[in-house]
Amino acid sequence: MTNTNRQTLLGSLPTSFDKGPDWLRALRGRAAETLREHGLPTKRTEAWRFTPVRSVVDAEFSREEEGVPSLASPLPDGVTARSLRDVLRSEPELLDGRLDLGGAPTHFAALNTALFDDGLWIDVPAGNVVEAPIELALAITKSAGRGVVYSRVLVTVGDDAELTLVETYAGEEGGQLTNSVVEVDLGCNAKMSHVRVHENAGFQVGRVDVRQAADSAYRSTVVTLGGALLRFDVRCLLQGKGAECQLDGAYLIDGDDHVDHHTVVEHQASHCRSEQTYRGIASGKGTAVFDGIVIVHRGAQKTEAHQENRNLLLSDMATIHTKPHLEIDADDVICSHGATVGSLDQDQLFYLRTRGIPEPLANAMLTYAFLESIVDRVIHEPTRARMREALLTRIPHAEDIRGVT
Amino acid sequence: MLKIEDLHVEVDGKPILKGINLEIEAGQVHAIMGPNGSGKSTLAYVLAGKDGYEVTKGRVLYKGQDLLEMAPELRAAEGLFLGFQYPVAIPGVSNIYFLKAAVNAIRKHRGEDPLDAIDFMKLSKEKAALVQLPDELTKRSVNDGFSGGEKKRNEIFQMAMLEPSLAVLDETDSGLDIDALKVVAEGVNALRGPDRAMLVITHYQRLLDHIVPDVVHVLIDGQIVRTGDKGLAMQLEKEGYAGVRNALQP
Repeated sequence: MTNTNRQTLLGSLPTSFDKGPDWLRALRGRAAETLREHGLPTKRTEAWRFTPVRSVVDAEFSREEEGVPSLASPLPDGVTARSLRDVLRSEPELLDGRLDLGGAPTHFAALNTALFDDGLWIDVPAGNVVEAPIELALAITKSAGRGVVYSRVLVTVGDDAELTLVETYAGEEGGQLTNSVVEVDLGCNAKMSHVRVHENAGFQVGRVDVRQAADSAYRSTVVTLGGALLRFDVRCLLQGKGAECQLDGAYLIDGDDHVDHHTVVEHQASHCRSEQTYRGIASGKGTAVFDGIVIVHRGAQKTEAHQENRNLLLSDMATIHTKPHLEIDADDVICSHGATVGSLDQDQLFYLRTRGIPEPLANAMLTYAFLESIVDRVIHEPTRARMREALLTRIPHAEDIRGVT
Repeated sequence: MLKIEDLHVEVDGKPILKGINLEIEAGQVHAIMGPNGSGKSTLAYVLAGKDGYEVTKGRVLYKGQDLLEMAPELRAAEGLFLGFQYPVAIPGVSNIYFLKAAVNAIRKHRGEDPLDAIDFMKLSKEKAALVQLPDELTKRSVNDGFSGGEKKRNEIFQMAMLEPSLAVLDETDSGLDIDALKVVAEGVNALRGPDRAMLVITHYQRLLDHIVPDVVHVLIDGQIVRTGDKGLAMQLEKEGYAGVRNALQP
């Protein structure tokens, strides 16, 4: 499918879809329709106000084939991982109603629905508790021309089943655009821990859509280390009573990075709980954005929702936009949200220095500790160790921390 | 060891210290007593090198060097220690890891090799026992979730680890019950020695029952108004600061 014909993203939409089952053709057709009608986001699109996507929207890309993340670990017992293309050919009925599970997509997610060619379906049948993590990796390669990759992953975890998924999007800063969609469908009392790492992820627009049945628990830890232009959305639909989600994120940017994290948590049923903690550090001339919204629907009583975003601004040239917000349409709820943007705590810094610790090392220790508290929540030990190491490499003077520990 | 000459300090343009003169020799323990707002903590912070304190006049010599020209970490490396009145919590930085960084930074300054993990653990166990600091607290984040007494014990634990030449203890007794006060005082007394000097800052005389000073100074309104032996502290306890103030009236 790789070709040298370069087109704009919208220009690459076909006029009709004639492959696959009826329901898929309908999904793709609807997505294309939405795009033709509303286009891709601009500066005037509220949710994309701070994301400079114009360079992507206006650019011409060639379609690259390598959009399917590869399994980086042996597949544990009790899980299947199948090619979406194969399943859509041989048993399409298995996927009916499980794509676009969060509702009709818009913008880049609609583009993904209309154009994805293959992907992965990871399925844990009801009752299977899978202890070993599944690791997926998508290498971001520096394409000679300007390539676009559509990546699609569907994760279904049956009732009472459990899964740990670790996704790594790493590579070189380059011209490639990655458009990734991960959909997660959690059954009753299902549990999933989801680690997602972006390391030099180039140009990337990614989203995770999670649909949660009663008493399910979804825990996400996102670590983003740099990115030329990264926009990452996590959306949790708490549809069953007693469902819980915990969304944690850490981002560290430098140079001309632009890294943009959005979360949407919809409390659609009662007795659900959500908690979000995102922390970021911006230095250089980078820009970081956090935009999180918690929507408590009518009738979602006994909701508990907390949201916190804390940022360290380490350079005068760096920018942070933070916008946590709540929309509440129920009365018996406990909700909190807060955001801070600041510099290192001068009293803490002074305390460390009075103990003989040189200022650059004291700075590094506090900076490292600020993000490490999130990295510490990465449930997968090898990834956690790798992220700690990456922080030590990326935070100025943090190399010295190694010498004293 | 320490020589303060006619020290004047302003904070936000307001004079706080108005001509302090003080000389402490190795092996001595001096106490500075004074009411709230007299400038006690300002003196401690100026000695440790905190930002925001403007020295408008005078100088401070420490081991013959101009102390006020030195960065806080250099002062520490040269053997100055400040025990904070309100030790700050540092979530995410473990007590023991922070101390190892501190001990080895100071050792490096002295041209000594860093302590390896085993020697460091041995030393820290020994010193933690001195102030009865539970092992679990040494591993937690610095002062995070510590009670008032635990924070003060942690300060003395750090002092024991860093083995300073001059320890400035700012209201180490505040917020301590009598049992904790005894533990902290015993920890301090264990560190007294012929090569070490201490400046103990306190509002109340009761700490000085346990850490017996060689010299007592009374600081009122930014000036040392009286200097004497430990008997002066007893007198203050009886008559209060008002008594000293009245006695000074011409």
